[in-house]
Amino acid sequence: MTDHDDRPESLPDDGTARSELWRRRSVIAGIAGTAVTATAFTAQRVLPGGDEPPAVTDVRRTADAPADAGGFANRDESYAAIGQSEQISATQVPPPAQAAPPTLVFATASEAAAAAEVTVPTILDTSDPALHLLRRTTFGPTPDLLGEVHAVGIDAWLAAQCEPIRIPDPAADLGWAAFPLASADPATVRSSIERTTWGAMADYGRATLARQVWSQRQLYEVMVDFWANHLNVPTPGPGGWDVGPSYQRGVIRTHALGTFTDMLVAAARHPALLRYLTAEQSNKDSVNENLGRELLELHTVGVASGYGEDDVRNSAYILTGRTVVGRDGPGEEGSFRYDPDKHWVGPVTVLDFQHPNDTAEGGLEVGDAYLRHLAGHPATAQTIARKLAVRFVSDMPPPALVERLAAAYLEAGTAIVPVLDTLFRSVEFWAAVGQKTRRPLENVTASVRILGVMPDGDIAHSVGRLYNATIDAGHQPLSWPAPNGYPDVHAAWRSAGNVVAMWNLHRALVGDWEDGLTRPDPIGLVAGRPAATVGEYVDSLCARLCFQAFQSAHRDALVAFLGGDPAAPIGRFVDNNDALGAIALVLDSPYFSLR
Amino acid sequence: MTDEPLSTSLHPECPDPSRLGPDPAQGLLRARAARVAADRAARDDRWRRGFTRRRFLAGAGAAGVAALGSQLATARASFGQAGDGGGTLVVVFLRGGMDGLSALVPAGDPHLAAARPDIAVPDSALLPLDRTFGLHPALAPLHDLWALNRFTAVPAVSTPDVSRSHFQAQDCLERGGSSAGTAEGWLDRVLDAMGPGTTFRAVSAGATVTRSLAGDQPTLALRGIDTFVLHAGDTPMHARTVEALSTLYTGLDHPLAGDVASTMEGLNVATLLSAVGYEADAAYPEGAFAGHMSEMARLIKADVGLRVACVDVGGWDMHTGMGRFDDGTMARQLSDLGETLGAFATDLGGALDRVNVVVMTEFGRRVEQNANQGTDHGHGAAVLLLGGGLAGGTVPGAWGGLAPDQLDQGDVPGWNDYRDVLAEVVTARLGIGAGALPTIFPGHQVRPVGVMA
Repeated sequence: MTDHDDRPESLPDDGTARSELWRRRSVIAGIAGTAVTATAFTAQRVLPGGDEPPAVTDVRRTADAPADAGGFANRDESYAAIGQSEQISATQVPPPAQAAPPTLVFATASEAAAAAEVTVPTILDTSDPALHLLRRTTFGPTPDLLGEVHAVGIDAWLAAQCEPIRIPDPAADLGWAAFPLASADPATVRSSIERTTWGAMADYGRATLARQVWSQRQLYEVMVDFWANHLNVPTPGPGGWDVGPSYQRGVIRTHALGTFTDMLVAAARHPALLRYLTAEQSNKDSVNENLGRELLELHTVGVASGYGEDDVRNSAYILTGRTVVGRDGPGEEGSFRYDPDKHWVGPVTVLDFQHPNDTAEGGLEVGDAYLRHLAGHPATAQTIARKLAVRFVSDMPPPALVERLAAAYLEAGTAIVPVLDTLFRSVEFWAAVGQKTRRPLENVTASVRILGVMPDGDIAHSVGRLYNATIDAGHQPLSWPAPNGYPDVHAAWRSAGNVVAMWNLHRALVGDWEDGLTRPDPIGLVAGRPAATVGEYVDSLCARLCFQAFQSAHRDALVAFLGGDPAAPIGRFVDNNDALGAIALVLDSPYFSLR
Repeated sequence: MTDEPLSTSLHPECPDPSRLGPDPAQGLLRARAARVAADRAARDDRWRRGFTRRRFLAGAGAAGVAALGSQLATARASFGQAGDGGGTLVVVFLRGGMDGLSALVPAGDPHLAAARPDIAVPDSALLPLDRTFGLHPALAPLHDLWALNRFTAVPAVSTPDVSRSHFQAQDCLERGGSSAGTAEGWLDRVLDAMGPGTTFRAVSAGATVTRSLAGDQPTLALRGIDTFVLHAGDTPMHARTVEALSTLYTGLDHPLAGDVASTMEGLNVATLLSAVGYEADAAYPEGAFAGHMSEMARLIKADVGLRVACVDVGGWDMHTGMGRFDDGTMARQLSDLGETLGAFATDLGGALDRVNVVVMTEFGRRVEQNANQGTDHGHGAAVLLLGGGLAGGTVPGAWGGLAPDQLDQGDVPGWNDYRDVLAEVVTARLGIGAGALPTIFPGHQVRPVGVMA
């Protein structure tokens, strides 16, 4: 038998591993944030939760707290750290505090935009903050949208976007209406389709894509996608055949710009999440820990908070009794039901949450109190603040920004809009031009939007074609199979297959291969811009599709594609595939691949 | 738009492959060689002109990081150097935590039957292996390979740092099994130790990059050979498009430049393979996993230099309703796994001798079933191994049984270390020298488990 005493002596057994995790997070984040942060180093922070894990005496034993296993706090942080190793090992001591911390947060977004200096080299033109704003807060800028921001100003545009209900949305409403089951309640779904088939969820995914592409409420749609991934219930996916659309509407869309507390409480009472994470089958006699664990790890405090296996167990105890009505009732099939007979009764402790939990009838209220506690926990604030910063700023966001967003989250009682407001009033957001790469779905939507492609004929069919394109790209809306949602950092998406999928998509869109969609007119696309010669046409295409001039070598490549003579008149190629090929190439370029 | 015979664009000067050889296949091969040579010359030129800056800026105000340099350096060896007969490692990762006690069953252990009244595989149904271990009947195709010394399994495998969190356990294993590891995936370090290879030397199946392969070394993440084809129109248009795309990513200081470089190099080979057509030499079951494994077999047989392949399989997080040994979720999942791996072995034929498949998962599951006829997250996992060079006829590795005093918080402990199993395989199969192991598995002293002959 192999002996097991090869555990390195230096391996900590008293909780220092957890501190190490925090230290490493901070150092990595500090690398990315040094230029725009005053004091990035946060190694001495106090751990939420506070209690130390028991000493590990048996070398065969696993770590009690996931945080003690070391490593990174979540997947995206792990992927994004690749290539940073040298800096990690080289940074053994905190960097000295800067003498005069620069102002990092302003009264308004436009002031922050004006104050921000883009110091990180990027191929993108950094001169127009409105364009940067649209690249980050929409599924793809359009000339009309850019004109709108220029006309009303950054602050007014953002304020309007934060009140989506007041923005008329006729095109997206049309797209949505083409999928009637996307709006159907669970009872209607059950009476409309064969049991356990995925038609309603398929409708919902397509209706979602239609909104992402054609909605005027772009920031809202971006946040809907953000939260749908954070509280991921794959749609289509197991258990959602009748209740999946209801979850996406009633939990995610309803609360996407509300408070995280309300969203979390609603999620943990929704049949779709309870089925997906099998909590509806858990009961007091033998709990299953699925939801109780993911709630801590993914949805709220995260492993770095230091919870242990006992916390996971108690988390699962608290959630027992939350069930879904079956075919035999009582009540409507597929509806949420709290069953006191299944609730585990007795004192519960999870991190700093404690409750006597002494009646079966009171178990649902204990659970809601627990969820509200978790939603408002400082460690949850960190989780969500960082995730938002990864979505909107960079794959390795500056820690000072994360701290600021977390503070705003707590101060606002988990309300989302104040956190976004803080984000957009922060210099770090405006300084991060070109630091994100479009994921496949974002490339699809941005391509459709910039080309102005619209349904041609049957809308459901047209949107279905676009949806298939997102499947080909490996990134259809709402469909990551695991509870942690799609990755949001480029390191996870580096893929030759994706590169080619995007190139082929661009050709399909401009070449009218996707029947049911309008095809862009090569000349109409640059209407009002100079386009008499090859050189003018190339420049106008770049300006129209990427809002900037290309570097000369890249411009030359496009001119070469069109025959090589920039002074040649365009007449001889606009009627053949050359112009369409050039349009596709502009979309293939790095100027369009970044956001 | 019609699909042009893209293979005709493979040769830079001669668009008609039939003129290049005695038959179209020979012509295509020669066209391929010429195209590779032309590509290499063009790429070298691109590298001279740009592409050599070594800074990848990760965030607002980021400092520079060396990333692209090593990536481009190792991508230089071309397809033309394949065919050296080197081995291939295929890592199959079962996402969700596969219950090892259902796959590799300690027959006759009274604690198993007591802990799992509804889901334990009865001894009478097991396919006998070594010691007291038996194989789940749904894995019968693997038992056939066992008889040929082409299959074995190791019980109770983990590392000291693995937790019961899916993410943490996967991340820890994929970075090399230790919290002390660097950020790169362990297979990225394996590739680094192997030195230059072909564009196809590391392939990850799917839309995202398997974490084990993530790092500086170029990797192709693919959903399939036949979808990895650029549809850019007729032959002249295709050639002009490729030329323009190459230039558009020249001088770009971003990892996208590396992605595109790998893409451009891989496209030629994939286009050729796709144009030649393919039919597997075995009947695979339906499904994504089988499709991916079939594509890996295709690449291995095409001898394009594939050395490390990664395929993920989801659906193993069975908190509820695992079912009986002959009917249920686990039986179905294992059946798909067994049939696919069996087909893969059949498909490869004699080439299986140069291949090893390692089937791993982030953790095993709790010994005791829960109230939902499922199992919650546990610790020690079973590793399955296929291919040539195995120490036949044995189930290697330490095992302490399932008596309560032998368990770790109710779980099978990590009697055996993942790193020891993996180190043995990469040493034997990929020719990794012992000197590289401390880099691949930092902080770990490798002790062979005895999986390889």
